[in-house]
Amino acid sequence: MPFRRVLRRLANAFRPGLAEPDLAREMASHLALLEDDFVRRGMTRKDAQFAARRAFGGVALAGDLHRDARSIVWVDDLRRDLQYAVRTLRQSPGFTVVAVLTLALGIGANTTIFGLIDAVLLRWLPVRDARQIVQIGASTLPYPVVDSLANQRDIFAGAFGYGTMSFNVGRPGAVERTPGAWVSGSYYDTLGLQAVAGRLLSRDDDRPDAPPAAVITDGYWRRVFGRSPDVIGRRLPVEGVAVTIVGVSPAGFTGMNVGQVADITLPVAILPRVLPEEASLLNIGNWWMRVFARPNPDVTPGQAQTRLAVIWPQLVNAIPTTRTNVLRMLHTTRLDVTAGGTGWSFLRQGFRQPLFVLMAAVGVVLLIACANVANLLLVRAAAREREIAVRLAIGASRSRIVRQLFAESLLLSLLGGAIGVGIAAVGGRLLVDLLSTGAVDAIALDLAPDWRLLGFTSLVVLGTSMLFGLAPAFRGTALGLAPALKQSTSRTSSSRAAVAPALVVLQVSLSLLLMTGAGLFVQTLKNLRQLDAGFRHEGVLLVNVDGRRAGYRGAALQTFYEELIAQLQPAAGVMSASLSKNTPLNGSRWFERLVVDGRPVQPGNESTDFNAVAPRYFETMRIPLTAGREFTLRDVATAPAVAIVDHVFVQRYFPDQQVIGRFVSYAGARVGPMEIVGVVASTRSRGVREPAQPTVYVPFAQQDAGGATIEVSAAGSLSDVANAIRAVLRPRLPQAALRVQTLSAQVDAALVQERLLATLASAFGVLALVLAAVGLYGLLASMVTRRSAEIGIRMALGARRAEVVWLVLRQSVRLTSIGIVFGLIAAAAVTRSVQGMLYGLSPVDPVTLLTVSLVFVPVAALASYVPARRATAVDPLVALRCE
Amino acid sequence: MTNKASRVELLQGTLDLIVLRALSTMGPQHAYGLAARLEQVADHPLSLNQGTLYPALVRLEQKGWIKGAWQTTENNREAKYYTITRTGTRALESQTERWRRLAGLVDKLLLHES
Repeated sequence: MPFRRVLRRLANAFRPGLAEPDLAREMASHLALLEDDFVRRGMTRKDAQFAARRAFGGVALAGDLHRDARSIVWVDDLRRDLQYAVRTLRQSPGFTVVAVLTLALGIGANTTIFGLIDAVLLRWLPVRDARQIVQIGASTLPYPVVDSLANQRDIFAGAFGYGTMSFNVGRPGAVERTPGAWVSGSYYDTLGLQAVAGRLLSRDDDRPDAPPAAVITDGYWRRVFGRSPDVIGRRLPVEGVAVTIVGVSPAGFTGMNVGQVADITLPVAILPRVLPEEASLLNIGNWWMRVFARPNPDVTPGQAQTRLAVIWPQLVNAIPTTRTNVLRMLHTTRLDVTAGGTGWSFLRQGFRQPLFVLMAAVGVVLLIACANVANLLLVRAAAREREIAVRLAIGASRSRIVRQLFAESLLLSLLGGAIGVGIAAVGGRLLVDLLSTGAVDAIALDLAPDWRLLGFTSLVVLGTSMLFGLAPAFRGTALGLAPALKQSTSRTSSSRAAVAPALVVLQVSLSLLLMTGAGLFVQTLKNLRQLDAGFRHEGVLLVNVDGRRAGYRGAALQTFYEELIAQLQPAAGVMSASLSKNTPLNGSRWFERLVVDGRPVQPGNESTDFNAVAPRYFETMRIPLTAGREFTLRDVATAPAVAIVDHVFVQRYFPDQQVIGRFVSYAGARVGPMEIVGVVASTRSRGVREPAQPTVYVPFAQQDAGGATIEVSAAGSLSDVANAIRAVLRPRLPQAALRVQTLSAQVDAALVQERLLATLASAFGVLALVLAAVGLYGLLASMVTRRSAEIGIRMALGARRAEVVWLVLRQSVRLTSIGIVFGLIAAAAVTRSVQGMLYGLSPVDPVTLLTVSLVFVPVAALASYVPARRATAVDPLVALRCE
Repeated sequence: MTNKASRVELLQGTLDLIVLRALSTMGPQHAYGLAARLEQVADHPLSLNQGTLYPALVRLEQKGWIKGAWQTTENNREAKYYTITRTGTRALESQTERWRRLAGLVDKLLLHES
C-alpha cells in the first residue's frame, strides 16, 4: 500500500469529522440523480424515491464500507473506544479519581526510583558515541601513567586523565567554593565535544608553561555570567591565580563524574602554578586521576586490554622514578578496560544495591495499586453486567467489548501515568536533596526524562493496564446472556466473590512485606545513630583551612595555625577551639606502618591510622581522656616527641601492660620515637558501621603541616558562632571560601545511604498500607451492599447489632490474618537478601515483625468501621422490599 | 472472516480497474454516472448495489489515481465529478496489463483442466 494512502487513512482515523459530511453530501446527490432518472422514466416522485434507495443499496452500509476503506479500522475503533471510555469515566468521577490517583502514586513512585537508577547508573554521557568510551583501570592512577597511556595512539584514538577538586574562585573577600576538574590535554578531543562559545582545551593548553586557560560549563556560564558572550578572554581568579576563560562546554555536559558537577575545567599541567603546595599531585606516588579513553575504531575493549597488558611493563619501566615500592604497585596493577560511557560515580558504590531494593519496593507498591484498581473495576463490571449483556445481545462481539473495557483501563493508566510523571519530577528533586544531606558539594543529577525513562514509564503504564484491566474485562464478558439480563439486584457473580478477597489478601501480605522492610531499615538507622561513635558531634563546627594558600610554609605555617586557634578561643560562643589533620568520618585517612618500641609490628599491607591534632582537640570533640595528659602548647616541634593512643590500640598492642611511657613511631617518620603520654577513648572514624580502629594521635606542631580542619565547640546559636569564626578567619585567609560545616552534618553524610533507605522504605510502606486499607474497605463496603438483603432478613429475625457488626468484622479479620500470615512468610523469605544493609538486628527481627503485624489491627479496624456501621444501619423493611 | 475478506479483495481489484477504465474513456463522471455505465456494460444489470462504488472511489482517491471536485450537472443538480489523474492513467495501463496476464493464465488453466 502506498505510504501516502497509509497517511491519509491514519489522518481519517483521527479526524472522522472531515470526511463524513462530504460523503453524506455525495450520497444525497447520488440519490437525487437516481431519482431524477426514475422520474424521467415515468415514475411518480414517491416511487422514484423508493426505487432510488433500492438501486443504491443501504446508505448506512455504504457509509460503513467507505469508512473501512478510508481509514484504518482498528485505529478508528480505538479512538471510538477511548471516546466512549472518557464518557463512561466522566459518569463516575469518584471511581475515576480514586483509580487514577492510586495508579498515579504507584507509577509515580516507580518512575521516580527508575529515574534515579537511570541518572546514576545507566545514562550515557552527552558526548559523541558515548558507547565507545572506556575506563582504564578499575580505580585511579597517577598522572605520569596518564601521559604514557595517552601516547598509545595505535590502541587509543584518544585517552585522558580526569581528577576533581573544589577551587576557591573569585577576588579576595568574595571567594566562592566552586567544584572543578583537572584534565589532561586530549579530554575534549577524545570526547568529541564542541564549544558553545570560544574554544575548548587542547593539548597546547596542557603544557607546564602554557598561559593558564579554563573552560567553564554552560550552567556556570548562565549562573555566574548570565550567558554574556564577552566572558571569553575574561580572567578568573582561581586560588588567587588569574586564569583565562577560553570557552564554554556544551549544555548538559558537566564532566566525567555523575553527580559531581565540574564547573571549571583546568589543564592538569598548570596545576603546580595554580596550587604550588599540591604540585606533588603530578608525581608518581599520587593516585588520583581516573583515565578514560576512546579505542581506535578497529580495537575492541577486550583487545585494548590485552594489548595494554603486553606493553604495560615497558611503560612502567620507562617512568623515571626511584620509588621502588610505587613501581611494584604499578607493575601489579591490572589495567582493566571497562565501559566508561556512563562516566564514573561515587554514588554507584554506595547506592546501587539500595536503589535496586527500592525499585523492588516500588514494584510491590504498584502491584498493590493494581490490585486496588482491579478490585474497583470488578465492582464496576458487576454493576455493568446488564449493560454489557445488552450490548452482547444486540450483536457486539465479545472481543469488541473486551477491547472496549480494556480501553477504559488504558485510559485510567494513561491518566495515572501522566500525573505519575509529574509526581516523579517532584520526587526526583526531593531524592537528590536527600542524597545531598551533609555533602560538602550538593549532588547534581540530570533527572530530565530521556527516552529510557519515557520508555520505562510507557511500559509500566501499558503493563499496569493489562494487569488490572484484562481480568475484569474478560470476566465481565464471560457470563451468559440470560442470567445477566434477568432483573435482579441481589444476584452476585460467584467469580468476583472468589477473586476480590484473594486480591485483598495479596495486598495485605505485600504491604506487610514492605512495612517489615521499612521497619528494619528505620531500626537500622536508629541503631547506627544511637551508636556511641566515641565523640560528640552536637555543637561542633568544622572549617577547612590551608595556610599554604596564604603563603605560609614550614615553621611559619605552624605559627600561623597557632595564631588562628589563639584568635578563635576568645571569640563569642566558642567554648574551645582546636585543629587537626583529619576529623572523624571525613572520608580521609592518614595511615602508616606502625613501629612499637623500635620494632615494626605489622606484617604485609597492614597499617595503623594516625591523626595529627592540636591542643584541646579531645576536649573540643569531647573524646574522654582516660589516662595521662592531652597535648599542650609546650608540645612543639623542638620539644620531645609525644603521642596519645586510643583504647583499641592499647588492647591490640599493650594488653594488660603499662602504656604511658612506651614509645611508638612509624616507618619513615621524620621525628624520633614518640613517647606515649596519654590514652583516650576510641572513635569510629572510618565509618559509622566500622568498628573503631587502633589510632595514634600526634601533636600537630610536631608534624609537617599541610591543610587542616579547625574544630570549634560552640555554645548557643551555631550560625552566630559560624559568623564569628568567619569574621576571625576572613582577614587571615582572604583567598579561601571558608565554608563552616557542622560535625553533625558530616555524621549525617556518613549515614545518607541508611537514611535514604529508611525514609523511602517508610514512605512506600505507608503508601502500601493505605492502599491495602482502601482495598479492604472497598471489599467490605461492596459486601455490605451486596448482602444488605440478607442482613435485613437477619435483623428482621432478631439479630443484634453486635452480630451484624461481627458479620462484617469476621470477614475483615479473616482476610487480614491470612494476609499477615502470607506476608510474614514472604518477609522471612525476602528480607535475608537485605541483611547486609541492616545493622544491629536480624532480618527476621521478632520485634519488628510483631510491631508491623500489630499495625494492621487498627488499620483493619479503621477499614471495617464504616462498612460495619452501614451494615447496622440497614433497614430490614427497605432491604426486603428491594428483594 | 477470511472468506469474506477474500471476496472483498477480488471485487476490489476488478472494481477499481473498471472505474479507472470508465473515467479514462468517458472523461469526468460522478458516482451515479459510473454506476449507470457499469449497469450498461454488465450482463446482469441488477447485480450491483450502487453504494458499493464508494469504497472503491475513496481508495482510488487516496492513492492519488483519481481526483474529485464538486460541480453542477446539466439538470442543475450538484454532484462530485471524478477525473483520472496522470498517475491514474499510468496505473491503469499497468493494471490492465496485469489483469490481461492474469485472465489469460486463468483461461489457459481452465481450458487445460477441462
